[in-house]
Amino acid sequence: MADLWDRSILGINFGQSYASIAVIDKEGHPTCIANEEGERQIACAISYVGEQVYIGNGALPHLVKNGNNTIMGFRNLLGHTYDEVDHTTILTAPLLADSSVPAYTVDILVPPPATKSASNPRSAAASGTATPNPAASEPIPSTKTITVPEVTSLFLSTLLTSATDFLGTKPSACVISAPTWFTPAQHDALRKAAEEAGISVLQVLDEAAAVLVGYRAGNAGEEERRDKRVVVLDMGETSLAISVVQVSEGEYTVLNKGRDDKLGGREFDDLLLKHFSKEFTKKTKIALDLPCGPDASPADKRADAKLLLAVEHTKRSLSASSGAATCAVESLKDGYDLSTSINRMRFDGLASNVYRQVGNKLIEFVQAAGLDLAEIDEVLLAGASTLFPGLQQHLSLLVSPTTPVTSTIDPSEVIAVGCALQALHLSTLKDGLKVTDVLSSIKDKVDVTSSPIGLVIPGQDEISAVIVDSGAPLPVRRRVAIPVKKGNVALELWEGKHEVKVEKVERAPIEKSDDDDEDEDDEEEEDEETKTPITKKTKVLGGVQVDIKGDGQLILEVIVQRNGGLQVKAWEQGHEDNKDEFEV
Amino acid sequence: MASVITLPFTLPSAPSGWTKPSASKPSAPTQLTLYPAGPSFIGAARRQILQRSFEEDDKNIIKAREEAEASNVDKGDGSLYPGLGEEEEPHHVLSQDPKEWKKQDHYAVLGLGHLRYKAHDEHIRIAHRRKVLRHHPDKKAAQHGANDDSFFKCIQKAHETLTHSDKRKQFDSVDWNIEDEVPDLKSLSPEEFVSTCNKIFSREGRFSRVQPVPEFGSLDAPKKEVEGFYDFFYNFDSWRSFEWHDKEVNEGSDNRDDKRFTEKKNKSERTRRKKEDNTRLRTLVDQVLALDPRIKRIKAEEKAARDAKKKGSVANGAPKALTPAQKKAAEEQKKKEEAEKKEADKKANEASKGDREAAKKAKEAARKNLKKWKKSIATIISSSNYFQPEGQSPSAAVVEKQLAELDILVDILEPEEVKDLKEKIEKAGNGAPAKAALVESVKAAGAKGEGKFTEFA
Repeated sequence: MADLWDRSILGINFGQSYASIAVIDKEGHPTCIANEEGERQIACAISYVGEQVYIGNGALPHLVKNGNNTIMGFRNLLGHTYDEVDHTTILTAPLLADSSVPAYTVDILVPPPATKSASNPRSAAASGTATPNPAASEPIPSTKTITVPEVTSLFLSTLLTSATDFLGTKPSACVISAPTWFTPAQHDALRKAAEEAGISVLQVLDEAAAVLVGYRAGNAGEEERRDKRVVVLDMGETSLAISVVQVSEGEYTVLNKGRDDKLGGREFDDLLLKHFSKEFTKKTKIALDLPCGPDASPADKRADAKLLLAVEHTKRSLSASSGAATCAVESLKDGYDLSTSINRMRFDGLASNVYRQVGNKLIEFVQAAGLDLAEIDEVLLAGASTLFPGLQQHLSLLVSPTTPVTSTIDPSEVIAVGCALQALHLSTLKDGLKVTDVLSSIKDKVDVTSSPIGLVIPGQDEISAVIVDSGAPLPVRRRVAIPVKKGNVALELWEGKHEVKVEKVERAPIEKSDDDDEDEDDEEEEDEETKTPITKKTKVLGGVQVDIKGDGQLILEVIVQRNGGLQVKAWEQGHEDNKDEFEV
Repeated sequence: MASVITLPFTLPSAPSGWTKPSASKPSAPTQLTLYPAGPSFIGAARRQILQRSFEEDDKNIIKAREEAEASNVDKGDGSLYPGLGEEEEPHHVLSQDPKEWKKQDHYAVLGLGHLRYKAHDEHIRIAHRRKVLRHHPDKKAAQHGANDDSFFKCIQKAHETLTHSDKRKQFDSVDWNIEDEVPDLKSLSPEEFVSTCNKIFSREGRFSRVQPVPEFGSLDAPKKEVEGFYDFFYNFDSWRSFEWHDKEVNEGSDNRDDKRFTEKKNKSERTRRKKEDNTRLRTLVDQVLALDPRIKRIKAEEKAARDAKKKGSVANGAPKALTPAQKKAAEEQKKKEEAEKKEADKKANEASKGDREAAKKAKEAARKNLKKWKKSIATIISSSNYFQPEGQSPSAAVVEKQLAELDILVDILEPEEVKDLKEKIEKAGNGAPAKAALVESVKAAGAKGEGKFTEFA
């Protein structure tokens, strides 16, 4: 364990709106750490105010009056050219038209040179707060052009500084997360920007993979199912990403993935803005319609930004406690203050539409993967927006009652934690393996089992237990122990097919039992259905027969080779010689 | 590792008439994207890169785990260093006064007396832990109601001293339990000399700031090693310091001058001791260097090599290059010869020491007699008027020549013969018979004296 200590490991969750960092602590556990400002969720924002540069959460308040010089949402632009970027949606610092790299231009103040120079004409146009006409001795306004990779490097280097301050040494190994939909070019751009910032990047890891590693899916312990289908639902500030993943003993193969870049925590912000602005209008009789469009009055825009900041806290307290969450803004508009509160039930009512949209997206992506919702074994949550208990409740009602909706690790931290764990795994490779070799050992796609292989008790029609599930990367090995009595036992191995058995349950419509209910998109039928995933046998693969000497267990080992060949061996536990095997 | 999952049902016995279905290949694999993440992925990658099958990989994992367990440092007080710090303390250790900590043997208190300066931090930590478990005042009070925590204080003091690196150095510097006597090196045989020096210098080496310290080495160490050793010890950088012997500054005293005085005295005392210690070591190395049999051997070898080279260059133009085996054989031969010669010399020396002494005395006496006899011959010659005819005084040249020839004759003859000659001449008496006797003896000397004599021919 000693070598764990001299190794400092960092995991970075680099989101579009917020980033978080995690390290491996002295006990060898990954923990999400707070930066110098005491924030675990560090806003991905950089604001240039005069001679100062604010990075992180400190930059957020500057959106109110210095929006033009505040840079946000730069991550998704990485690896793109200016033309590829949808530059109409950028609300902050304007993007420069440059075909190779998107770049921002911001107004800054530079220390005055010795000679007096004319004031920059751009400063007046920039924002109302910029110093209009500086005296000779004062700093002179100027503009600065900063490209997206530069912004990223600058931001990541502050994260590195925070981690270094916490660890006492510079992290020697780092894994950084990237969204599931990032292209290889974007991966490269991110890696380059991180290396520019002085971070030694071991791997740029898919966010969904980071979540799986963070929850240790497939490796958690003895009780956990080894083969299962999970959905990783990552709802951040700006977008929703859903991945359907087959976990086979800790190896993750992607069945389907997708995202909705309109559905995110921002939806909740808008709802709250709308709610509070209505309340404000009702109380003060001042017209305020939020969220406001691009052609709204400056006063409305300012109110929008102010309320947005305040709502952030309201959201956090809504997810943290069941009581009412307050929202207070001084001088929201025309000198009137806003001070109000909202309780969770009210909020859930407001947000039910968003919840439903999230649920629909989940169903959509699961079905696109050729699966039924009933076949999903677990839902893993990530992203700060999934912290709302209302959303979690909605999702757990959606999936089958036995399917857990997991948020055991704080969803807002799990990606960073997963990155740190992955960095730990990669930096403690044994047998002289190299990180690059390990990472380059896989191609884009790997061979996986196409259908499940199950055990059939002779004479029965159904597969009693699935030994090797579909979607398991080859080669795969599984071992099961079957309690047996003394005597001659035999079993058959069959290839199977996953199916969903639908049973209509006639029930009185009055009974409001949500638990068993499996609501599809539409809630048309009064009859309730129960869906159970089953595996039908389709093709026999072989059988084994062992003469058991005494009561005990029969160990069955099934290996599917890289070339698709099957190797089956069964023996009595404790009597390795008493065995039967076949190979195809 | 393959984890085994127990299925929730019992396998019934095979139905009668059941036959094994014929084996067939499962459906062809499909392709999916794999996330390169998680320990299982790394395991799979390892198997693929190292071309291991599941079973080989299992074996490797089990082996690695066993190794890890074996090398795992015992965190508690389990099996590591069994017996360390668990022995019964002798009475004199137990009954120490904690106030007299300067005189306390900290290693003995912790039961590390056999390790001393070689004990490392882990030894000290574990020994202290075990001692504390046995001697904690609470435990003692529970056992026999005594409220004697003096030994516990000793333990704590010892632990404090030995875990503080500076304090431990100070204590190790003056550890009086390590004997630092040097036996009389002159009286030792080469083998004993080497083993003694090895002991001495490994002991002295503990004070070196530069580690590791070269060993004194064996009797047949090569020149380079021997020189390296002396170089090291002539440039010895010692951390030894003598703060331990400082006189306590009276803390209660307000007198600043008093304190300063004591401090100054302590400082000068420390410097003095340090200087003394350096001199001691230097003298020791000087002494050893002077007596080192290997230095003599190396010098002899070098000389032999030089001679051989000279000879070789005369005889062959260039010295023949010897194969290592030959060289070794030659060296061994030489060594053997040397040893034999030494042995023989030694024996001979011992045997004939008395004889030699006697012979020496006899020789001395003979030389004295020879002078006497020569003188008497010369007297006879002069009294015979240098064998000149009567009345004719001898010329100076003749006298000188005759005396010179007499000298030569005495040199040629053995002392006994000179004695005989003298007696013969005395008997013959002065004059011609004396000359005849002389001429006769010159003739007897024969070839040795040919051409040298004109007067006595």
